[in-house]
Amino acid sequence: MSIKTDETNKKLSISDYFSLYKKLRNSKNFGKNKKSIKIALLSSFTANGIKEALFVKCSELGINCDFYVGGYNQYSQEILDKNSGLHKFKPDLAILFIDARSIFGNNYLLPYNIDENRRKRFVEEKLNEIIPLTEKLKSDSTAKILLHNFEIPQFSPLGILENKQKFGFVESVEALNSELRDTFKNDEQVFVFDYDAFCSKIGKNNAIDYKMYYLGDMKLNLQYIPELCNEYMAYIKPLMSLAKKCIVLDLDNTLWGGIIGEDGLEGIKLGPTPEGRPFMEFQQYLLSLFNRGVILAINSKNNYDDAIEVFRKHPHMALKEDNFAAMQINWNDKIENMKALAEELSVGVDSFVFIDDDKANRQMIREAFPEINVVEMPEDSSLYLNKLMDINDFNTLQITEEDKKRGHMYVQQRKRTEFQKSATDLTEFLKSLNMVVTAEKANKFNIPRISQLTQKTNQFNMTTRRYMEEDIKKFSEDKNSLVFSVKVEDKFGDNGITGAAIVKKGKDAWSIDTFLLSCRIIGRKVEETLLAYIAREAKKAGAKRITAEFIPTKKNSVAKEFYKNSGFNMAKKENEKEVWEYDLKEDYKFPDFIKFVEK
Amino acid sequence: MRELNKIVAKVLSIDEIKVNDSLTMKNTEQWDSFNHLLLISEIEKELGITFSIQEVEKIKSFRDLREIVSGKGR
Repeated sequence: MSIKTDETNKKLSISDYFSLYKKLRNSKNFGKNKKSIKIALLSSFTANGIKEALFVKCSELGINCDFYVGGYNQYSQEILDKNSGLHKFKPDLAILFIDARSIFGNNYLLPYNIDENRRKRFVEEKLNEIIPLTEKLKSDSTAKILLHNFEIPQFSPLGILENKQKFGFVESVEALNSELRDTFKNDEQVFVFDYDAFCSKIGKNNAIDYKMYYLGDMKLNLQYIPELCNEYMAYIKPLMSLAKKCIVLDLDNTLWGGIIGEDGLEGIKLGPTPEGRPFMEFQQYLLSLFNRGVILAINSKNNYDDAIEVFRKHPHMALKEDNFAAMQINWNDKIENMKALAEELSVGVDSFVFIDDDKANRQMIREAFPEINVVEMPEDSSLYLNKLMDINDFNTLQITEEDKKRGHMYVQQRKRTEFQKSATDLTEFLKSLNMVVTAEKANKFNIPRISQLTQKTNQFNMTTRRYMEEDIKKFSEDKNSLVFSVKVEDKFGDNGITGAAIVKKGKDAWSIDTFLLSCRIIGRKVEETLLAYIAREAKKAGAKRITAEFIPTKKNSVAKEFYKNSGFNMAKKENEKEVWEYDLKEDYKFPDFIKFVEK
Repeated sequence: MRELNKIVAKVLSIDEIKVNDSLTMKNTEQWDSFNHLLLISEIEKELGITFSIQEVEKIKSFRDLREIVSGKGR
């Protein structure tokens, strides 16, 4: 049973989620999704509805959702007791939702019954409960932890003088929030969820329904539970590797108002006018997504020359040709164009988000590619920006420098490919790139990226061994290992860290445990450069030979011939695994047109 | 009032035909205290009316609910 709750703009009510939850639980496909997540909810009150809404939202994305709801206000015991239901459950994600009323108790409505010093002490005490509790959960569990901050009150018995107090009531909640944020700022396991921002977004007057609070201790209006769960999904998507990478855009009535082929450059709506500003601001926000690493592409039915003229000549285009990694602007159908984009970018269509003002186009794409997130754009262009801001598909749980540069790097890749098409001779082409390859030994800056590469690289990956950051760190601390990352720059720009290797140093033989490169770099003699580097280091250390494995997978056939073509001899073959050897009597030559730098 | 019946049927997961004056909290297992609040919340949202806390406490059956809702002009 598949359900899409966002296909129309009609918002489901919370009781729809309860009904869908029951339906899905009873359907014969229950639990048969490919991906699964275990979520634990620990809260200071009875938070009904979160389980059901999250279950439905996960199902939409093909994720089984197993849920554990901690006992009412039992979160401390659950965390501290190693035999608790929580620990037995072993969650992948733990949501810790403690509300301001619960934590402040009587002080919530009588904040000035205690003096400034006691207010300060109170905040310190609370931090001394929450932070160690979170740390404890962290050390006893591998779950990512979503720690709610507190809603900042919008009332004060002191009225307009609230801001004149020394460490006033509002300030004390702000202090709690800012301490939590600072404490976990660099933590990879704990994420402070900005519940205060969420309450502001829905309106603090709406967040609480007093009647329901008095009748059922509901600290958040039931009707806003689905929206809260939407915010949680922003964490679940990257956790389940379902984050999107690329926005595919239509042009007419999407990036600008009107139709370029009919209205002309002067006639389209774009710029600082009431009808032009929505498109201008929509583009600005797209540009800022590009700058955080989102790839942009175009899929539009248009005359190429008409469309490109807008990019080149319109004074209010925030987006330029240089922001797009691929453009399909032609009269082919949009499905064909979508396939062409996926091929050109070498990413799966499942990493696409599609934005088009035309309902029929959206429906067509949705049917052809159910894995694409087709955004249900509002009819009114003044609502575009807000819709775009609401897309939470591009999150990563950590952002490496490479992630931020990704949008740019795909654009450079397009230029490189265009340049290559115009070049006739491969060696001449490679020479003219003026490549610089930098090998950098593992250090605290590149370890996250090396680990990420071992996790993500499927094609040019000789052994496909997946390593966590901790593993890479251990290798790097072992003097019998050589671990390095590889950065490639050329005249089109910096490709960032796109390769890595782990080599174990034996006395006679150095053996390559891991050797991988991102597919956009392969075929440019970078791989040979790295082998030359390993060979040089091994020889320096007195080793006689290099051994290297190739373990075939469904995806790494591109790497199959690499050792053979690099002068290695097959030493043995165990089942599928091949072991190759290189005799160091002979120097392994560096390709002469690549500048090699060792760091 | 069809709308009201629909909401009750949906929240309590029962057939719309069974939504009539004989339906009470006592004789309907699903109509527990949480679903009672869920029901009120949904009716307020869908019909654009509000109940007072006293009214919510007073409602024990579909008949009570129907009378209070119609008293609000719906």
